[in-house]
Amino acid sequence: MGTNPVMDKSMTTTESDLNTAATTSVTQPDDRDQLTLEQIAACDNFKSEIHDSLYQETSIINVKDFNLWYGTKQALFNINMPIAEGQVTALVGPSGCGKSTLLRSVNRINDLIDGLHIGGDMLLNGTSIYDKSVDVIELRKRMGMVFQKPNPFPMSIFENVVYSLRIDGERNKGVLEEVCERSLRGAALWDEVKDRIHESALGLSGGQQQRLCIARAIAAEPEVLLMDEPCSALDPIATGKIEDLVEELRGEYTILMVTHNMQQASRASNYTAFMYLGRLVEYGPTRDIFTNPHLRPTEDYISGRFG
Amino acid sequence: MSQEPKTGFTGRRRVRRTSKMVKYGDMMARTCITVGGVGTILAVGLVCVFLTWKVLPLFQSPKVESAKVVQVEANHGKIIHLDLDEFRNISMVVYEDGTVVTQDIATGKKLQELTLVPDGKKLTAWSFGIGGKHMMLGYEDGSTRVGDLGFSVRFLEKSEAPVAAQELEIGDVTAVDGVIYSKTPEGQLRSQFAKLTLEDPIAPDKDSNGSAIRLIDHTIFNESPIYVTLNDKGDLKINRITRKENWMTGKVTFSVSQGDLPYDTQSHADKPAYLKLAGLGDSVLVSWKDGFSQRFDTRDFNKPVLAETLDLTPQSNHTITALQFMNGRNTLIVGDSSGELSAWFRTKPEGTETSDGAVLTKAHSLPSGNAAATAIAVSSRSRMIVVGFADASAAIYQVTVGNQLVHAGIKDSKDAVQAVAMAPKDNGMMAVTNKQIGMWNVDPKYPAITAGAIFLPVWYEGYAEPTHVWQSSAGTDDSEPKYGLYPLIFGTLKATFYSMLFGLPIAILAAVYTSEFLHPRVKAWVKPTIELMASLPSVVLGFLAALVFAPFFEKFVPSMLACVATIPLSFLLGAYLWQLLPHELAIRLDNIGDIAPSPTEKVNPLRMILFKLGGVRLVCLFVMFALSLVAALALGTPIEHLLFAGDVKRWLDGQIGNGIGAWMILLLPLSGLAAAFVISRVVNPKVAAYGDTRTRGKVAVLDLAKFLLACVLTCIIAYAVSALLNGIGWDPRGSYVDTYVQRNALIVGFVMGFAIIPIIYTIAEDALSAVPTHLRSASLGAGATPWQTATRIIMPTAMSGLFSAMMIGLGRAVGETMIVLMAAGNTPVMEMNIFNGFRTLAANIAVELPEAPKDGTHFRMLFLAALTLFAMTFVVNTIAEAVRLRFRKKAIQL
Ligand SMILES: Nc1ncnc2c1ncn2[C@@H]1O[C@H](COP(=O)(O)OP(=O)(O)O)[C@@H](O)[C@H]1O
Ligand SMILES: [Mg+2]
Repeated sequence: MGTNPVMDKSMTTTESDLNTAATTSVTQPDDRDQLTLEQIAACDNFKSEIHDSLYQETSIINVKDFNLWYGTKQALFNINMPIAEGQVTALVGPSGCGKSTLLRSVNRINDLIDGLHIGGDMLLNGTSIYDKSVDVIELRKRMGMVFQKPNPFPMSIFENVVYSLRIDGERNKGVLEEVCERSLRGAALWDEVKDRIHESALGLSGGQQQRLCIARAIAAEPEVLLMDEPCSALDPIATGKIEDLVEELRGEYTILMVTHNMQQASRASNYTAFMYLGRLVEYGPTRDIFTNPHLRPTEDYISGRFG
Repeated sequence: MSQEPKTGFTGRRRVRRTSKMVKYGDMMARTCITVGGVGTILAVGLVCVFLTWKVLPLFQSPKVESAKVVQVEANHGKIIHLDLDEFRNISMVVYEDGTVVTQDIATGKKLQELTLVPDGKKLTAWSFGIGGKHMMLGYEDGSTRVGDLGFSVRFLEKSEAPVAAQELEIGDVTAVDGVIYSKTPEGQLRSQFAKLTLEDPIAPDKDSNGSAIRLIDHTIFNESPIYVTLNDKGDLKINRITRKENWMTGKVTFSVSQGDLPYDTQSHADKPAYLKLAGLGDSVLVSWKDGFSQRFDTRDFNKPVLAETLDLTPQSNHTITALQFMNGRNTLIVGDSSGELSAWFRTKPEGTETSDGAVLTKAHSLPSGNAAATAIAVSSRSRMIVVGFADASAAIYQVTVGNQLVHAGIKDSKDAVQAVAMAPKDNGMMAVTNKQIGMWNVDPKYPAITAGAIFLPVWYEGYAEPTHVWQSSAGTDDSEPKYGLYPLIFGTLKATFYSMLFGLPIAILAAVYTSEFLHPRVKAWVKPTIELMASLPSVVLGFLAALVFAPFFEKFVPSMLACVATIPLSFLLGAYLWQLLPHELAIRLDNIGDIAPSPTEKVNPLRMILFKLGGVRLVCLFVMFALSLVAALALGTPIEHLLFAGDVKRWLDGQIGNGIGAWMILLLPLSGLAAAFVISRVVNPKVAAYGDTRTRGKVAVLDLAKFLLACVLTCIIAYAVSALLNGIGWDPRGSYVDTYVQRNALIVGFVMGFAIIPIIYTIAEDALSAVPTHLRSASLGAGATPWQTATRIIMPTAMSGLFSAMMIGLGRAVGETMIVLMAAGNTPVMEMNIFNGFRTLAANIAVELPEAPKDGTHFRMLFLAALTLFAMTFVVNTIAEAVRLRFRKKAIQL
């Protein structure tokens, strides 16, 4: 069994008390317009700038006061973030700001890491993700995940796609084949591989492998699709294809996507969250974030002035 | 003005030329690695070449090195015996009239003339012992005489020797006054001459009326001669002469005890031609020319009985022309008028109804000669014989393997060979016709070894049928060395099989458990601990196995057998009971081991201990393990009564009880699978709906019920099938389970399992851990359980590594020496019986090499054993490498 880094409420407070005592400036900066990156970095309790339009959406995932430590090093600070159902949400921010960490916390794949603590909670459709009684396996079955590096299993394309059905014990060949074809079509890969779905998946190109991983994720019928820089290892053409795919999947699935690429965020997402050093700085509709950010650091980052 | 070197960004200018030192270092490293690599390959190759070089001579063919023919220098009628000395210098011919003539073989000159009839009574019967010296003579008046006829060897000072012999060069031989003088390679002066001593005659019985002795044969048993005589009247008597020396006065007295054999003169029209006494004096054979023979059982001198009558030339009308016991007087060589040769010995097949339970059986047919076999002589130190033929030729045979080694004839002669002799050192043969003496120096090489003798069943003396036997050394010269390698190969495979059966699943499961399930913190101490086991010297393990574990196991056999079932069952039971825990509690307990207590938190010491030990689950596992041992101990006695008729060792012997118990043991795993199948096919669909609607706790209860049902079902199925098989009459006792020996395959399997677990575990664990984490994440991210991830993704991906782990374990098990040496009992038997011992190639080499004479047959056979072992490990490793590469090709693309 994976570990379950649930932290007692009491522990959360003690730990944050500890941090409070250790840092010099913890008060919220008053003048939001003149906010600087240094001020954000100094603040353990930074209140994110969340655009109002987000509260009009129905949220499928709700991150509540989420803190995360790798050992003694805190990687996420007090994240509060509703994620809109059926929309594409992009997480942007400089390297090491905790985007992947946040994403991986959603399906608790981080549980595997030694020395991990968390505080706060996340809700998936109103039920807790980090509650003690949550069956992690069940939870993960409700989410699909696509990783930065394509990671097909060393088996045939077919077996890769139907992996989630296999582990559920599905044996009906008809069902398997149908799911396989639909998923591959959904991932825009069907036409390229339909003649060789029983050949090794490792023979595909990087872009194809990544789309295969997406097919594998959507074959599991997830409620949420988590993508961690799905295009960072791909060439521009493959990237384009994945972006088109995200475009197509929008509406069907809720997609939470980490990206480094500003154009990609602006093209493919409905909402964008900007993170910095483990804090969620600003979060709103993509158009607003890109054209009219509320905070200066966001603007600087979007326009490429740092990061 | 010198130009300032342009500094770079870091303010430092990089020297672009690779420095000499670095280049030199590179070259050194490359050379060292090349030398090391090539050296290793070379070393392995050299070992192989060396072994082969030691082994190859075994298969050389024997050859005649030189031939010498001299004229017979006397004529006293028929020749009855021929002998030669150990240095092949002197021939000794004994004539029918009792004259003994020795000749110098080099020159043909007559040396001495002696007589066996000092008092002029006519010699009528004779029996010359094997390997010279001891003989027994019978005379016309019915008296007998014990004597010694042989060669005397003395080493002289130069001054003692006659002048002609004083200045001999090394290797020279000269004859002076009937004595052969020679200079040994060590430079000593040696004299040799024939020596005859005759004891006083033993007077005939009163009731024999002075009837002439017709046939006589004797053997030496416990230093006192036993002899049989047949006189003209038809009295067949067996006598034992007991020599008594008064230790006060030194006076020697002989006393003779006697028995009469129930021999009927009417049983055949002719007079018997041969009379033979077996080695211990327990069997007497009387044979006629046409092959008809009677064998008497003389184990009791007071009451000898006729054991059997038989034909020594079955299915032919050939007549026996020569009959001789081999050394040890157990195997009888029969030569007939057509030149056919056969070897016979007593075997004891089941159901034999003769008085001594034995029948004389024809075991070997030797390649026949071109003319009647007229004389046979046997080696005193090996299983070789010399046969003389009627066409003036002679041949040496190796009886065990049934080969003719050499065949040579006297040139331009058609006379029948009258007597033959084997050189005492097995390095020559001699044959005499009425005109000539032929002497051949022979190098027999390694006559007992042929590919067939090693790898095919061979019919050894006293065995009921051809078998594979390894028995390289027995106390005496007259026993037959047995060089069948199969029992050793079999032992090696048996040891390997049982230790892999025990060690492989445990090691692989342990590796999967540590790499996939165990918390990294616990793994950090578990893995080194298991690896530490590998550093335990195998001699210590062997010692523990032989002196601690084997006696312990023997004491608690039924309990130990019960362990096999209780340990896995208790783990399963534990898993089901765990599920019964309320879900929240289960997760809370899990967390104790999984999450480090934060430094600020006040920790409960118990919780800390549990955390250190790797969590509640792991602790529970150990508790269940202990419980299973207790359960096994408690179940021992009931099981013994239920299945093994109350006494497992006598039951295993087959003395009591029936085969049901044995079948139960063998069928339990299979019926477990069957029960699981039944549950999953029949019960599961019925309760599936129930499971969907109920809470976790209820489902857990249901699972537990299913598990218990499966256990009961397993027992029922196993019992039913066992009873059925037993009813049909099949009893596995006698093959897979049989008589319990304290040091047995189970013990070795268990202990050697421990020896191979650490290496298999380490390599397997490394292979599993080396599977990229992104695959693990992908699988877990798709909602697979850790177990599904392990079996579907991790293990297949790591297959090449798992396979290498298995093969390295296999290689270790094949070559392991000390454990098997100490715990396997080292009896080279070929039995599947798990409760019996065995001897492996490696242990055999370790045991026997110190006592094998250098470059002898045995010595070289041990090298062959080593070569076989080498070949076995080589094949195993080559297959392993090939398979591993195949697996790796798949994995390398990741
Ligand atoms: N397994 C880990 N153990 C310890 N620290 C980690 C681990 N993974 C990430 N971190 C740290 O957490 C911070 C956030 O990392 P990550 O979420 O990977 O950033 P991003 O994906 O935004 O580049 C970084 O400072 C990184 O060093
Ligand atoms: Mg990242």
